[in-house]
Amino acid sequence: MTHYLLEVQNLAKYFPIKRGIFRRTVGFVKAVDQVSFRIKKGETFGLVGESGCGKSTTGRMILRLLEPTDGKILFEGEDITQYGKKKMRKIRRNLQMIFQDPYASLNPQMTVGQIVSEPLKVHRLYDAEEQKEMVKELLETVGLNHHWRERYPHEFSGGQRQRIGIARALALRPKLIVADEPVSALDVSIQAQVVNLLADLQEKFQLTYIFIAHDLSVVKQISDRVGVMYLGRMVEIAPKKSLYRNPRHPYTEALLSAVPIPNPQVKRERIILQGELPSPANPPKGCAFHPRCPKVMKICKEVRPELIEWEEEHFVSCHLYSPS
Amino acid sequence: MSGWILEVKNLRTEFLTEDGAIPAVDGITWRLNRGETLALVGESGCGKSVTSLSIMGLLPEHGRIATGEILLGGKDLCKNSETEWMKVRGNEIAMIFQEPMTSLNPVLSIGEQMTEGLRKHRKMSRQKADQEAIKALELVGFPRAKEMMKEYPHQLSGGMRQRVMIAMAMVMNPKVLIADEPTTALDVTIQAQILELMRKVKEDLETSILLITHDLGVVAEMADRVVVMYAGQIVEEADVKELFLHPSHPYTDGLLKAVPSLEEEQTRLYSISGTVPLMSDLPTGCRFAPRCQRVMEKCLQAEPKLFQVHENHYARCFLYENPFEGDKR
Repeated sequence: MTHYLLEVQNLAKYFPIKRGIFRRTVGFVKAVDQVSFRIKKGETFGLVGESGCGKSTTGRMILRLLEPTDGKILFEGEDITQYGKKKMRKIRRNLQMIFQDPYASLNPQMTVGQIVSEPLKVHRLYDAEEQKEMVKELLETVGLNHHWRERYPHEFSGGQRQRIGIARALALRPKLIVADEPVSALDVSIQAQVVNLLADLQEKFQLTYIFIAHDLSVVKQISDRVGVMYLGRMVEIAPKKSLYRNPRHPYTEALLSAVPIPNPQVKRERIILQGELPSPANPPKGCAFHPRCPKVMKICKEVRPELIEWEEEHFVSCHLYSPS
Repeated sequence: MSGWILEVKNLRTEFLTEDGAIPAVDGITWRLNRGETLALVGESGCGKSVTSLSIMGLLPEHGRIATGEILLGGKDLCKNSETEWMKVRGNEIAMIFQEPMTSLNPVLSIGEQMTEGLRKHRKMSRQKADQEAIKALELVGFPRAKEMMKEYPHQLSGGMRQRVMIAMAMVMNPKVLIADEPTTALDVTIQAQILELMRKVKEDLETSILLITHDLGVVAEMADRVVVMYAGQIVEEADVKELFLHPSHPYTDGLLKAVPSLEEEQTRLYSISGTVPLMSDLPTGCRFAPRCQRVMEKCLQAEPKLFQVHENHYARCFLYENPFEGDKR
């Protein structure tokens, strides 16, 4: 038995591009391209990157909400990639998701009580009386008044809705929660409340999180280790401290330097990346980042760099750090 | 040279609902200096965007300016007819919106959209307008500006669209540029490009910018002066350095502490308890009192006015009722 709760090996998702009256496949959008990482029990793994880098697609594949084109997902050492519907449903009790948009991820026709107890019903756990008790407990756990169970989602604010989504994800006592931009739609003061709540719940229920976000400071707050993605590829993985202090990949460096700091007295050296994100349907040859990289070399245009362990636990995929 | 270019005086904007007229902006006053960037900061529902829509005369049908004045070069915009508005919009005041996807017309080429204002307001010939537009596109960093004139918005990425919006706003050389969450929909590396560009444009053309945002990082980087809004009111106003160094209103203080830091290690984020009150159901006394950690008896009974905290620094809080007393530095 490995001590990794989740292992992702060479995971890939290619979406076909279809053209013409016969819907012929003329190419592929490589949304996720050979991504590998491992997650220990009880840790929070932050997944960052800009829009279109494949972070959400990766999150969805882990729950098999999207079918991977290639690669393996191992949960508690077991390969779940080929699991059928029945087996997958069983394992999903352990894998839950929190979505970005608290306005779109709750059914407006269901009461809060129904929303939170739905997973219990689907998995036929507990009788009606017990379920009621569970809902009460869950709502209180996430800081909502349990008398609100008869209310509908539209009666709640964004932050409260996100709490409802969290209560629903917790209902089955999962081991792993994939949180896809859970606080991006929230105001600063509410964002802080939800981030703290997630941290408290992690301690209370020994949860493991995959925290997907584009906001680097939020990811820093909550994560133990962080993976940085660019154009469907993992460019750097490292423990939080070493990533934020010593970013190795030029993309990570640029990304960190681009974040505006709420302190007018700090003047930072900013690396402004030129150009736009290339299309994942037609990624550049060699290193995907090379057309925008300030440190580009000849080899970068030809050879795709491997993800190597440059320092202990600090992985980077860049020719500046070649093993030789 | 007179300093103020745009002045908002005691502005109250209301929305008509089933429960009567509910204010979204409730008596705010501020001035925008020539060549200055003034930031309006606050969380959703605080009235910052409604303020900008009031200035542009773009309020939806059920919205109206109840009282107050909006003075542009001494002229009250509130008294404008729709035709007079047309002359102001895009010409004297230009606006960039949050969503560059929806604020560009998808069926018109970039060139047509870029030159519309020049031809209408300035009565330029097509050729002359095209030249101006190409110059503006080059200014915002498009090397192939000429070809771009024939392209359509869907051919551009989000960051490129926002740059087109800026070019479009700047081509008219407006006195005031209102930027309503200009980078919120963009990725950080693209945000950095756009902020850099806005700074350059401001310096080159000496435009005054009204920046509306919720992002305190963007404020720290771009603004000269900051107005913090809460529940339709101004709760604090100060120069940018002063505000970040000595946040005085407990709300501003809490907001600054609630932002996760890239530089420091925090084990736990500070959070302001509770939520923003509904404008239809405001608490008596100070609007922030139910969430305030330093709440006093008085706060629950009377509404504080803006007290002076320090030079050019005001806060709507009873802690500063006696001038300079609450200011511990």
